[in-house]
Amino acid sequence: MAKDSVKDIFKMGIWDDNPIFRQIIGICSTLAATNLMKNSLIMGLGLIFTTAFSELTVSIIRKFTPKHIRMMVQVLIISVYVIIVDIFLQAYYPEMSKALGPYVGLIITNCIIMGRCEAYAQNNPPLHSFLDGIASGAGYTIILLTIAFIRELLGFGTVFGVKVLGDWWTNWTIMVMAPGAFFVLAVVVWVARSITMKEEKKEEVATS
Amino acid sequence: MKKSFGFPILFMVIITAFFTFLLAFLNYKTTDIISYNQETAIRRTILYVLDIDLPSQEPEVIEEVFNKYIVEEEVGGETVYVAKDGEEVKGYAFPIGGGALWGTVQGYAAVSEDLSTLLGIDFISHSETPGLGGRISEDWFKEQFRGLDLTIGKNGEYIIYRPAPNGNVDAIAGATQTSKAVSDFINKDIDEFLSRMRGEN
Repeated sequence: MAKDSVKDIFKMGIWDDNPIFRQIIGICSTLAATNLMKNSLIMGLGLIFTTAFSELTVSIIRKFTPKHIRMMVQVLIISVYVIIVDIFLQAYYPEMSKALGPYVGLIITNCIIMGRCEAYAQNNPPLHSFLDGIASGAGYTIILLTIAFIRELLGFGTVFGVKVLGDWWTNWTIMVMAPGAFFVLAVVVWVARSITMKEEKKEEVATS
Repeated sequence: MKKSFGFPILFMVIITAFFTFLLAFLNYKTTDIISYNQETAIRRTILYVLDIDLPSQEPEVIEEVFNKYIVEEEVGGETVYVAKDGEEVKGYAFPIGGGALWGTVQGYAAVSEDLSTLLGIDFISHSETPGLGGRISEDWFKEQFRGLDLTIGKNGEYIIYRPAPNGNVDAIAGATQTSKAVSDFINKDIDEFLSRMRGEN
């Protein structure tokens, strides 16, 4: 496991072991920050940064960390990086910080970061852990953007704030509200699972 | 080492101290720029409600225009921003705010010098649903409040949504509660401000 190739790490993070539709973690922010694609993108970038550097740090100090207090150490490290993201946005992207509001601070509660620190960074070398963080974050971001694309298109008729549907389009208000996120997330998980199920069946046939 | 009692405590103390110093340093380095950003946001809002044109959105330009036209004054224990062109007073900007559907909305409103016209409103913070109640911060909504006549309002009803009789502003479709809350606190705050200003004179 310590010798995962870069390709494997990304394949796992983005598809085979995708945090959202395979592991079903990090759902809270998937529901909350997906009504506009811009918010989803910044949220995703924030998560990629936090996961990658948290995993890197956890992995560097994994040999010295006493096993029974490792969770405390992980929470500390994760919160440090989340605060860095928050300060950075406030200082250099005040508009974005205003738009995301409390969601930036809530990156810390995202299960993906701690899940990956515990499952991967604890047992793997720093560089691989760092890449795993980027891969898992990317898997999360892609699903977030997919959901945000559907919600923004149906809810506002726009993509990244640019109007693509004409005046004939009636905005689906429900897509902008919380219930819309549940429907779209469920459909995305359903579609993704159907595709992976087919692949699994093929593999079974091939091996038997 | 793994079984010792002291090591985990020492380890935790060292790692906490390290990261705390790191964050304290970053915080110290960015305090000035963050507070400047916040001041810029408030300056931009006040200039917007007083309908003073900005040649550009650069923070330095906003600061320059702000210092040229705006004077802060205390009226009845509250800070009021007075817009002056030379010695002539153009209008007054004052804070407005109140509870809406999901949380507190804060902003500024401005009235003309003779207290007869609403010059404009703007919001600096709110937590309404993006795309629904959150549309209170969109231009089309805010622009409706420019130049409303404040002399015809009866019983503190300055903002009335159409299609009610004498309606002067459109509410946001799909965000009835937010619209209602916003008009309530705008009416209330304008009423209070007007009576305070009339009392002073």
